[in-house]
This record gives sequence, C-alpha cells and structure tokens, in this order.
Amino acid sequence: MNHLPQAWGRPRDDIYGHYDPSHLQTAGPNAHTQQPIVTGTSVLAVKFKDGIVIAADNLASYGSLARFTHVHRLRPFNDRALVGFGGDISDMQYLDRLLNSLDVNENYGSPGHVLNAQNLHTYLSKVMYKRRSDMNPLWNSMLVVGLDGDDKPFLSSVDLLGTTFSSPTLATGFGGHLAQPLLRKLADDESQVKDVTREKAVAAVQECMKVLFYRDARSLDSYSIAVITKEGGVELKEDEQLEGQSWAFADTIRGYGTQVN
Amino acid sequence: MTSIGTGYDLQNSVFSPDGRNFQVEYAVKAVENGGTCIGIRCKNGIILATEKIITSKLLRPGANRRIATVDRNIGVVSAGLVPDGRHFVSRARDEASSWRSTYKAPIPVKALAGRLGSYVQAYTLYSSVRPFGITAIVGGWDTDAETKVDGQVGIGPAVGSGGKVDGAKKGGPGLYMIEPSGLYWGYYGAATGKGRQAAKAELEKLDLSSGTLELEAGVMEAARIIYVAHEDSKDKDFELEMSWVSSVDGPTKGRHEQVPSSLLEEAERRAKKAMEGEDEETGSGEGEKMEE
Amino acid sequence: MASSLIADPTSSSHNLYSFSPSDQTASDIRQHSFYPYTDNGGSTLGITGNDFAILAGDTRSTSGYSINSRYAPKVYRIGGEDETGEGAHIVLSLVGYAADGTALQERLNTVVKMYKYQHGKRMTVKACAQRLATILYSKRFFPYYVQAILAGLDEDGRGALYSYDPVGSYEREQCRAAGAAASLIMPFLDNQVNFKNQYMPGSGEGHDLHAKQAEPLPRQEVERLVKDAFTSATERHIEVGDGLQMLIVTAKGVEETFYPLKRD
Repeated sequence: MNHLPQAWGRPRDDIYGHYDPSHLQTAGPNAHTQQPIVTGTSVLAVKFKDGIVIAADNLASYGSLARFTHVHRLRPFNDRALVGFGGDISDMQYLDRLLNSLDVNENYGSPGHVLNAQNLHTYLSKVMYKRRSDMNPLWNSMLVVGLDGDDKPFLSSVDLLGTTFSSPTLATGFGGHLAQPLLRKLADDESQVKDVTREKAVAAVQECMKVLFYRDARSLDSYSIAVITKEGGVELKEDEQLEGQSWAFADTIRGYGTQVN
Repeated sequence: MTSIGTGYDLQNSVFSPDGRNFQVEYAVKAVENGGTCIGIRCKNGIILATEKIITSKLLRPGANRRIATVDRNIGVVSAGLVPDGRHFVSRARDEASSWRSTYKAPIPVKALAGRLGSYVQAYTLYSSVRPFGITAIVGGWDTDAETKVDGQVGIGPAVGSGGKVDGAKKGGPGLYMIEPSGLYWGYYGAATGKGRQAAKAELEKLDLSSGTLELEAGVMEAARIIYVAHEDSKDKDFELEMSWVSSVDGPTKGRHEQVPSSLLEEAERRAKKAMEGEDEETGSGEGEKMEE
Repeated sequence: MASSLIADPTSSSHNLYSFSPSDQTASDIRQHSFYPYTDNGGSTLGITGNDFAILAGDTRSTSGYSINSRYAPKVYRIGGEDETGEGAHIVLSLVGYAADGTALQERLNTVVKMYKYQHGKRMTVKACAQRLATILYSKRFFPYYVQAILAGLDEDGRGALYSYDPVGSYEREQCRAAGAAASLIMPFLDNQVNFKNQYMPGSGEGHDLHAKQAEPLPRQEVERLVKDAFTSATERHIEVGDGLQMLIVTAKGVEETFYPLKRD
C-alpha cells in the first residue's frame, strides 16, 4: 500500500520519467491558449459583380497529421452572411456557437430584421480584439463574406489580433502567399469587380484551391465552396472534389524524392 | 370559488384550512380577465393566436406584439398581466439559452414547459413574492430532421456506431399550457383568457387528437375561434395576432414566425363571414360563462 | 524496469513522483507565447500652414512581406456627426498596429462626440490633444502600439498639429512624419518645411551665413511636398505604396483627396 495519497494514480518518475509539474499547478498564472492545436488552413474569397465566392478545404490537421477530413469550415450565419474559418478548430466551434446565440438573440429584438455581413464582421472583430487584449486569443483568421446594408457584396477579414482589412480578393494563411497573387489578376481594385462574372470568380477560386493542394502540405482535395448573391442567398456546397489535377510536374522535381539521379 | 379568504388570503404560500392557496386563485382571476389566447396542435405544426384588446386608439396597429419567440422554434403567448408575461418569456429565453450551452442543441418544447412549470410553481412557495398573473401557452416544433449539434463541424461516422437508432421517432409538435400554480399539461388544443370557455368548446369540435388537421386549415380555425371567443366582449376592439411553427419542410421551415399578413387577412375575412352566418342561423350558443 | 515496478513506493522519497510544489522552479512556470502586437506598416505625415492643416497617409496594409490590402485608410475624421465623419473638425492619423489604431480612433471619436453632447460646443484641438495623451497613457503598461498625429485648427484659426509616442508623450509641431518611412520622410521635411541646412545666399561666409527663416507654407506647396514625400517613400520602402490619402482641415471643414501610388 502506498501511504502517500497524493501519489495515487500518478506516473512514477523512475518508470515514466519526469513529468513537468507546471502542468499540475492549481495556483499561479492562468494558462490561456498559447498555440492552436487542431487547425484548418487557408480560406479564399473573391468578390464578383453581384456577389461573392468563398472556399476552404475540409481538412483539420493535428500538427502535420491530417486528422479530420470532413470538417466544414464555411459556417453560414444567415441567408446573407457567412464566415470562413482558418486556424484553431475548437475556437471556430466556440465562435460558431457564439454567432448562433447572437442570431437567436437578435431575432428576439426585432423579428425579420437580420444582421448583414458588415454587422457580423464588426461584431467578430470586437470579439477578437477583446480576446487578444485579454491575452486570451481565439486562434483564428476569418473571412466574413456576404451582403452589406446596401445589398452590395461584402468581404473582409479578422484575425486573432483583431486586425481587420478588406479587399476585392482575400486569402488567409498559406493562401495569402499562393492564392492572393493569382486572385489579384482577376480584380486588383474595387473598380475592377464589376467586370468579374460569377463563373470567372468560381473558376479562379477553384484553380487556387488546386494550386494550394499542390503546394500546401496541410491541405486537402476535398473542399467547401459557397456563392452568396442577393437573389440566391447562400449557396453552399460542402463536399466538392478538386478536378483536373495534374501531377506531371512532380516528375520533374529532383532532390526530395527517392530517385537516384 | 365563492368563499372569501378570511385571513388566509393575505399572504402568499399560506394554505387555508381546506387546502387552498388563495393568492394563486386570485392570480387565476387576473388571467380570466385577459384577452383570449389559444394554441392548436396540428398534424404538421403549431398555431398560437390571441385576441389583443385595443386599450387605446393611440396604439399603433401591429405593434406591441403579444406572442413571443423563444429560441427559434418555440412560441409563447399568455393571458393575464402583460408584464408578468414578458418576464415569463424572458425566463423562457434564458432557459433555452442555458439548455443550448449545456447540450449544444435547441431545448425540446416538453423540457422548456417543464422548466417553466417549475419556475412558476416556485412563485407559490414564498411570502416575499406573488404568483404569476398569467396562464401561458407554449408551443413549438422539435425538429424531426437530421440535425447537427451546435458547432458540429464534421459529418460523424459513415459506418459503425453513430448512436443512431433506426426507426426511432423523434421531434414533432409540442403544445403546453402553464397556469399560475405551476400546473402544466400537454394539450391538443389549449385556451385561456376571457373567452376560454367558448374557445374550448370550439376546439373540442375539431377532433385534434386524431392528428389530421393541416396547418393552413388550423390557421383558419384559430382565427374563427378567436372571433367566436370575442363575442362576449364585443364592446371592445381587438386585433387578431397569430403565429405558427411548422416542420422543417413546412412553410416556416421549423421556425416560429408570425402568420404572413396575406394568410392572416384571409383567415380574418373567413372568420368574419362565419360569424355573420352564425348570427343568421342561431343566436350563438355559448353565452353564459360556466364555472370551471 | 521490472525491479522498479516491484519497488516499495513508500520507502522511497517523494521525488519518485512529479507532484511536489518543491519540484517547481521558476522555469517550470510556463509563459505565454502569444505576442499581442503586429506591425501593419505604412506611413503618415502631417504639415500645418497658416490657415490649414494636412494629414496624409498611404493606404497600404501589410503583414511582413505580404500586402493585406491596397486600401486600408489610416487617417480618420474625429468628432463627425455620422459614420462618414461628416462635420468633423479634427483629424487623426494612426500608424503601427492597425487593430489598436481602429480601437483608439473609435475611442477618441466617442470622447469628442460626448464632449459636444455634454457641453454644447466643439472640443478644441488643444483639448482633444490633451485628451488623446491621457487615453494613450492610461494604457501605459499595455500600450496602443501606434504613432499618432492629431491635426486641426487652433482657437486662432491657425493650423495645429500634435504628434505622439505610443504612451502619450506629445508636442505641438509644424510638421511630423510617422510610421515605417518616417526616417525617410522626416529629414526631407526638416529641409523643405523648416528649411534646415538652407541659408540665405550671399548673407556671409562660413559661420556668418544666415539660416533661411522658416515660415508657414501655402497649401498648394504643402500638398506638393506631401506627394513628393510619399512617392519617394514608395520608391524606397516596401511597406509604403498603393494610394495616398490626404485630409485637409480648413475653416470650411475637412476635404479629402486621393492619389494613386505605385502598387509594387
């Protein structure tokens, strides 16, 4: 019988090695989120003439492990607003519930009046900035898309620091490096948005998802894509498959694989 | 209830020697003077309707609504003291929100009715409070569709144990009425307020227990019943307020909403016509108020 | 290993288990690895004249080497009547960490509006400047990571400009550059606005040379200087570019102008 009740159920150092006792602290500093755990990668979005396209793949990674492969990171808010999440998945779920309760409460006040994408973006940015100021961040970068108060296409981003910015095309994470330059060919300026058709926008986003799948090691070929327009509301497809992949270039890569020459 | 309190009615929570709580019974009196409220449990949804007595010509028609939404799929209407009704709704919303934060899913109508019943009952137990001066009708539709829990991002297992039982029945309409004592029952059709007797008589004719009444037909019946119930207080103007909840594949997509104005107007038109017809045939049967 | 399994745990010291508080050393206390700031680049610039003040900023927002947006304004109207800033009489530029910038701008805007509601008159630029310093210093130990410039017209109708460090130290100046390219623009301003290192021709030899006296410049001249400053900064600094936004305060109100800059 072990007469040290504190030791019951504890791993023994001589068997399991030393256990970092800071994990057992009950007093002392409160540990807040210091790093994301299960994560989603890029989110892409493009404005077009009368709406907006947004896409994100269906992967949730645990470090370099492709942990969950059917995770839907485009979360519709109502028929005129949607949020695309990158970063920590559990924080995404928290925010999803928060937005859900926001929607329920908003409906109590004035039924029929709905929050638009711009309202949603303002709300989210305040939540994110508050949490970073508390040194307890929600580890996400999000794109908020939909229609603004004048029914015009709206696209804006928020991240874990509360930083916000808007642009005719946006991409979070790896997409900021790989997809954004490609998307900017479509519309680099607000004035060019009127010349972008829905078809062009969807094709460009799909092409970027492909490029990201080729080069982003934390990505997946199954993805979600949504189109939001005044007429059609939120048209969300959550189980799309990348088409027309070509891995011919892989043959020409030298130095990483097992080939000798 | 003719006997007077003889001192046993001066404090809440105190029984009289013959086992009555007079404060609760007085609260019921407040309800009996309120505008009539009804709820109908239809095959594919719930209808709530109320006779909103116009207390001033300066009130804007359509404003100051009496039927409230709780969560997305539940409606609450009450007869009696309006501020008590508002507080009741506020509590219902808190309960719904707390249920969601615990279970990550909307509160079932049955559970909400239970929690509200307990809440109202607690106001009969203490001398520092008075009972609710309302009888509330709570109606909603628990979704029968395959739904994700709040914040669920994945699709769940495609094979193997997914926790689903084939053929298990779930969801459907729920209609409950909660009285000042905290007593609540589930109903096919519920009525409270001034015209409840007439309304109950009409509801009983509808054969609601067979579960065959369609939602749209129910809207017409509800409007007519409110008009019938209003016969006794014809001197007062009133506004018909009506809301409904259908299944996910129905007209409200599982949400509690106001009945659209076009349908409401149609229902009112028919109700008025039915009333005219009735006057010609007979002299309208339910004149005298009966004792419950 | 097997022998350790059958060893009597009671006989050994408590060091067998990693639970004792005495095991803890200062280094065991885990620290936050979250850094709550970032730099969104860009530059701002303010110059005053006799009866006007100009605040300018480029519209690029960056994260590292990436461009977030080509149009993210960092000059704001303060004390306007609606969300467009209509009716404002004070302007503010904030460069550094953009989220703090937005938060600070909203806070000062609220203060200036409340001042008007409560006192029935517009806040003077001087009072607003002091208030901004107080707000910044109130977060002395978790600062708003921004360089602020506040501008408007003083009680005499002359251009007024105040510049700040992130914790609220401030002074009134003729001109100031802030942000990523401040070190490129400020020397240019010293020379062109305050005429530093400029001397009166033929006024003497060596130390007898008379310095050229600085005097307030006309508006057109100032606008030209601002454009020159930003086109040059765009050439030499990667975080500056895309667009140049100017807010010009005169007795008539606040005017806004926009000039495209190179987007490379």
